[in-house]
Amino acid sequence: MSVSIAKQGYSLGHGHDEDAHEQVIYQETRDMRLLGFVLFLCSDVVLFSAFIFAYIYLRTTVAPAWPPIVGGHQLPRLDTAFATVNSVVLFGSGVTMHYALENFKHAKLRGFNAFMGLTIVLGTMFLLGQGYEYAHAQIGGWSGNIFGASFFTLTGMHGFHVFAGVVYLLVLWYQASRGVYTKERYFGLTAGTLYWHFVDVIWVGLFFLFYLW
Amino acid sequence: MAQRVVKPRTNLGPGFWPVTAFIVVVSAIMAYFTLTSPWPIGLIPAGEPAPATDALFRFLGAVGAVIFNIVTIYTIYFGIVFAKAKNAGPNDIGVQIHDAPVLEFWWTAIPTILVVVLAIYSTKIWLDIQNTQGDVLTVEAISYQYGYQFRYPRLAQPVSGALHLPLNTPTTIHVTSRDVIHGFWIPEMRIKADMVPGLINTLRVTPTVAGTYPIICTEFCGVGHGAMKTTLIVQSQQDFGKWFAQQGGSQRSGGGGGGIPLASGTVDAGKMLFGQKCSACHSTGPFTQKIVGPGLGQIFNDPAHAKLVNGTDPTPQDVANIVKNGFQGDIGTMPSAQMNAISNKDIANLVAYLASLSKK
Amino acid sequence: MATLAPGVKTGPYHAVLDHIHPEPTSFIRKYIFSIDHKVIGYQYMITGGLFFLIAGLLAELIRTQLLSPSGAIVTAATYNQIYSMHGSAMVWMVIIPLVTGGFGNFVMPLQIGARDVAFPWLNLAAFWMFPVAGIILFSSFLFGAPDAGWTEYPPVSLQGPPGTSMWCVAIFLIGISSTLTGINFIVTIYKMRAPGMTLTRMPLFVWGQFGTAGLSFIATTALAGALLALFLERTFGVPFYDPKHGGSPVLWQHMFWFYSHPAVYIMILPVFGIISEVLPTFSRKPVFGYKMIAFSTVAIALLGFSVWAHHMFTSGMVPWLQLPFMIITMVIAVPTGIKIFSWMATLWGGSIHWTTPMLFATGFLITFTCGGLTGFFLAAVPLDYHEHGTYFVVAHLHYVLYGGSVMGLFAGIYYWWPKMTGRMYNEVLGYWHFWLTFIAFNGTFMPMHWLGLLGMPRRVALYDPQFQFWNVFATISSYVLAGSVLIFIYNFAMSFRNGKIAGPNPWGARTLEWMISSPPPYYNYKKIPAVLATPYDFGNPLPYIGLEAAAGAEEATPTAESHPVPTH
Repeated sequence: MSVSIAKQGYSLGHGHDEDAHEQVIYQETRDMRLLGFVLFLCSDVVLFSAFIFAYIYLRTTVAPAWPPIVGGHQLPRLDTAFATVNSVVLFGSGVTMHYALENFKHAKLRGFNAFMGLTIVLGTMFLLGQGYEYAHAQIGGWSGNIFGASFFTLTGMHGFHVFAGVVYLLVLWYQASRGVYTKERYFGLTAGTLYWHFVDVIWVGLFFLFYLW
Repeated sequence: MAQRVVKPRTNLGPGFWPVTAFIVVVSAIMAYFTLTSPWPIGLIPAGEPAPATDALFRFLGAVGAVIFNIVTIYTIYFGIVFAKAKNAGPNDIGVQIHDAPVLEFWWTAIPTILVVVLAIYSTKIWLDIQNTQGDVLTVEAISYQYGYQFRYPRLAQPVSGALHLPLNTPTTIHVTSRDVIHGFWIPEMRIKADMVPGLINTLRVTPTVAGTYPIICTEFCGVGHGAMKTTLIVQSQQDFGKWFAQQGGSQRSGGGGGGIPLASGTVDAGKMLFGQKCSACHSTGPFTQKIVGPGLGQIFNDPAHAKLVNGTDPTPQDVANIVKNGFQGDIGTMPSAQMNAISNKDIANLVAYLASLSKK
Repeated sequence: MATLAPGVKTGPYHAVLDHIHPEPTSFIRKYIFSIDHKVIGYQYMITGGLFFLIAGLLAELIRTQLLSPSGAIVTAATYNQIYSMHGSAMVWMVIIPLVTGGFGNFVMPLQIGARDVAFPWLNLAAFWMFPVAGIILFSSFLFGAPDAGWTEYPPVSLQGPPGTSMWCVAIFLIGISSTLTGINFIVTIYKMRAPGMTLTRMPLFVWGQFGTAGLSFIATTALAGALLALFLERTFGVPFYDPKHGGSPVLWQHMFWFYSHPAVYIMILPVFGIISEVLPTFSRKPVFGYKMIAFSTVAIALLGFSVWAHHMFTSGMVPWLQLPFMIITMVIAVPTGIKIFSWMATLWGGSIHWTTPMLFATGFLITFTCGGLTGFFLAAVPLDYHEHGTYFVVAHLHYVLYGGSVMGLFAGIYYWWPKMTGRMYNEVLGYWHFWLTFIAFNGTFMPMHWLGLLGMPRRVALYDPQFQFWNVFATISSYVLAGSVLIFIYNFAMSFRNGKIAGPNPWGARTLEWMISSPPPYYNYKKIPAVLATPYDFGNPLPYIGLEAAAGAEEATPTAESHPVPTH
């Protein structure tokens, strides 16, 4: 509920039409929210960057060997094959999220629902895959050595972000089903999509750093 | 639209030039005394690299004094001279200038040039310090909560009291810590390094003035930090030799090692330890397969190298002594057992492991 | 009906600014959980002010301990907790929240002609994290407060009392608040300026907030990472920093300082903005070199990201890397010097009104310059080898933080007090506050320069007896400094009841906040004015259109033909 005083005579020449005015206001607040959300994602990137720096520093400057030698034995490398499959699942969910938003923008609600549901399922599958990876990794646990410390902390933070993202997408999906968004006004879905892509981009980095390097 | 007309200023202010002259004179005097001060930091320069540091301090001090005077005295002057006139009405305004490009150019250019000059001079002094000679004598300083121990070459036991150094001898000091980060500061030498567990930092100094100087911890290390100090005693080379002999120093390499019991060493424990402590610098291949130090795979059994690197025979006891005491050579410095946190039992295990490699 | 003349540049039009939300009615919504940026600003100021008094008390305990070379009043263990909490509280619970959440919140939206910040609810959430974080931090005294300095280097911080973990949590929380506020301010400044207010017509205080907000949202999460890792290592043994488990103590230093160096610019850039407002107002002339001051603000913010390792020259970092860090640190002196000279040129040729804020702003020029010069002494690596970890550093940091940030905060408080409360303070008491501050501040911290050079390390509960004279001198000066703060508190307490009514513009200033009533109505501007030029041209009429509509009809309102004159 807001009181518009635009009608009270102070005009900068943009016309008196109430709807057009509402549209301008929506557009401007949307732009502000988009900028704020992007800045938030940037700050989140810095959080990951701090730990990525720590991992690279420990691995290249401190550890005499990689994987580290613990108890006289060198730790094994991680299971790249499994992680590749899990990564495809996550990246696939990014593709489905993109199509979910596209469908919504064109008012194709069945397509939106299908892709949204698929995104959430794939995201959850990724989390389950990470759980499997954690249970079967032979790198000495979270607190045993710096390999475990950096791997479990970084992927754990990422997994936390994925989990939060799944919850976020569920909330957005629920809101969409209640008609909160229209095909002209769907900023929440844009934000959700951006967040989901951000989670994917972080995973590209982590996958390279822990499995390929 | 009414515009207030302000007569532009035709001069820089009453007394501007006398004040400027005052700034020049005061700055010149302060700069002169700074540049010619024998002890600009207030402590004697008791060895290299202190004179270089003091030279930079003098120069920076002189420049800083000039800048401080310019800012402080002009600010006070402007504040007094441009105070609102007593007969000014409520409509008083000052000179309506926004910028003066020529002035701004100079007050950007001159500080930039100053910064460049200071950066270059600081780099030169930095290089001088990095190139301070060392290595004629090498000691290790190991800190713990809350004290220092010093290890000398050819001394079996570490020295827990003061650090003794001989006059006019380029000395390298390797510093590390057993527990938390400590500091190693010798104010009269103007040198400081953090003593970081897991790292070895290196200082180089040549004491030139005999005397007793404090060595001070400058990194917070716990409740004993405030009291954590020791002493540097700089003595003539003769007096140092006498002191060193009293500590049991001997010429024969490996002589101070004493008997390290080796019978109980186990190969598996030695292999694990080798991976943790030695593999960063040594391979288990032949001598020529160097990482930092030589490969140790044939240390007991190498026709091409009949002696160990320190000239002793390749017996288990002599190998044990090298691990115990460390070694300085052309390749670099191998830390002593104390720096590596290796016990005698560990040494026994390592020797057993190396022996098992040489058998192959 | 006011319209802009044809051809006049307007900048983006923000329809969103036209809306006035209904005023809240309940006490809770008006004063406790308010989304009004002005109320949130007051809340930050009150909370930060309270924490300033507590942290200041800790400082007096430090100085009292150091009356005696063997430590006068507390054990070393307690002393270590006292100075660690003093530093941590002053940086994170006083200066940063006051300059951003306090002054930024109150002044910035008014100065850009907005009704509020971009995300008022986020502002509310960010504020409430602040007292919670402060309570967590101070209650660490009950469990053994953190004791390894505000920098908490491992491995010694891994051994620290349980309060160290509480410190991690508290700073993490205030860090979230700081990041969110930074995001909020960037969007506000970028998107919500009044019509016609291009970036080069913005008040310099807003430029300062803009640069600071950029630093805040980028750098703070790096600290969050460091704190999280320390917490995990202390609590679950996850090895990052302990070399006994493969970690690196120097890693902490990189992660910590990557944030904490930009943090010092977070603490000073808003204050530079305050100085840029106070000096022209009381010199009655434009701020000199507006564009260069704005540009140098951005330059300092950007350069500030690339100098962190100058805190680590003795740590064992790769030697050749010390050189670029040294050189870039020295280079920052150039934009800073440009500002100092521009401010001096603002004084020149002025018609200076010596009010208390003007005294503090001018004193700032002297003490901050001194701090900046000693910073140069620390930037030069060979000198840093001697000075690091000594009282020389303590002297430098207090010259820039007290002689800089706190003096500037005092200038700001005296300046905007009439706007916030509608009342004037007592100028005579203000003079006493300033002069006692200026003299006692120098008495407290100037001796620390040579104490450090002569051999007194920092963070020590006891010291070599040769240093006693100057320690006693500093302590007695610090008691006078504390007394000056009491005068300040008394002044404002009295002003609430007995202060002269200030009116909208007691100073005859020209930025937008002075065009409306004191205190401003909850909606700030009835109608958003349009802006035609920078605010500082005292020789010209006010560069605003629609002011009489903005200010409402109840008071004698400024018009575009006005030349505001001081009424106090």
